[in-house]
Amino acid sequence: MKTDTLIEMLARQAGPAPDFPVGRHLAAAASLGLLASSVLALALIGPLPAAVFYTAAPWIKLVYAVLLLVGTSALAARLSRPVSSTVMARAAVTSVFLLMLLAGAVTLITTPEGGRWSALLGQTWWICPWMLMMLSLPALTAILWAMRSLAPTRLKQAGFAAGLVAGVLGAMGYSLACPETSVAFVAIWYSMGIALTGWVGQWLGPEVLRW
Amino acid sequence: MLKGGKREPCVRPRNGLLAIRWYQEDVHVLHNSQLARQRLHRCDQKPTRTKSPPILDGCNQTIIPDELKNYKQHSDFESGLKPLWLRAQSGNELAYQEALRLIAGRLRSYFRRHLMNLPDEVEDLVQETLLALHLHRDSYDPTQPVSAWVLGISRHKLMDLYRRRGRREALHEPIDGLEDDLAAEEPGETLAKRDLRSLLEELPRAQRIAIEMTKLEGLSVTQASKRTGVSESAIKVQVHRGLKRLAALVRKEPK
Repeated sequence: MKTDTLIEMLARQAGPAPDFPVGRHLAAAASLGLLASSVLALALIGPLPAAVFYTAAPWIKLVYAVLLLVGTSALAARLSRPVSSTVMARAAVTSVFLLMLLAGAVTLITTPEGGRWSALLGQTWWICPWMLMMLSLPALTAILWAMRSLAPTRLKQAGFAAGLVAGVLGAMGYSLACPETSVAFVAIWYSMGIALTGWVGQWLGPEVLRW
Repeated sequence: MLKGGKREPCVRPRNGLLAIRWYQEDVHVLHNSQLARQRLHRCDQKPTRTKSPPILDGCNQTIIPDELKNYKQHSDFESGLKPLWLRAQSGNELAYQEALRLIAGRLRSYFRRHLMNLPDEVEDLVQETLLALHLHRDSYDPTQPVSAWVLGISRHKLMDLYRRRGRREALHEPIDGLEDDLAAEEPGETLAKRDLRSLLEELPRAQRIAIEMTKLEGLSVTQASKRTGVSESAIKVQVHRGLKRLAALVRKEPK
């Protein structure tokens, strides 16, 4: 077929361009991922006792995750199409992260000297990032799948953004089961787990997002 | 021509991208890293230039450097394409055809410059990219230049071809650089190696028939729906799925 024939064929009855379904697809994938990470966390680790939800600890994690979700999903949405700028979304993600670090540092300074190490490391620092990443994997699969149906052209970045969103959803699920209570712990080890998932996404992106 | 600071092109950041300014209009979008190499400066900063002698031809006339000629041509390209493209996006078939023809010409020269070693691949990649542009035309954001959007997808397709061919060639390729734009100089069409018409035969029957009726014979969706007894929306879905499948076949096909 000659190229000109192809052009005529593509244009014939093409109709108006449909809306870009980025919000719909990513939201569906994210809901699925959140469901998966919550169910996994509750099934594998078990829920926290109900009394804990009357304290601030799980809510700090959830608020941090929700704030991060805003920026990371904007980033993922923007990287799902060619040329759109990512400056604002990146700034949003970074500033939420820095704010959380700051809050962690402040609480660490105000805790008495003896309790600082335990506030920083808790009892589960070595497993938290890995657990969080593991809980994120279904979300990562769903989001990469959704992204593939859109039009990402910056594959590494898009994969990284998909990983960050998945990591945040994993953090939400994990917060239902994670016994840690200090802000500094969340600021460091949760962020670490989210970044870890981001790197997995970045590694997978160029392989699975091709179209 | 370049004398006098006012007329000198400069670059200003916009939407996170940098746009070259030439005679009061933005004509070309490029990345930060490309600035220094092209000896351009940002409009909001003072030019830090080493004095370079003006380029003169034999008759003491200043010559416009080639790359700046490209920007001017680029401006013509974008300003010609954008209105057509916007009409095409809202459903104007003729405008869509015209826009795709303009784009195809640019793609041809772009890919030709990047596939020096694989001249046979050029026309196939042009067709593959056109198909991709069509299937992803919903991803165009009207606040951005059409040429930047086209370039984004074309680069993606080029990289994809490199990957399919093994990375060796990709390593030899300066992928960002001066020549990485949709500059003019349009060579004619060569023959595609793979025939899309025969690839169409490999589609599932319903998809193939939907495409043949609406896209090749030119029946309206209503007519096609009457003739096949399938609902109109089902016809549209079959056409879209069929073209997607076709694009997948094109990528998979061994050469």
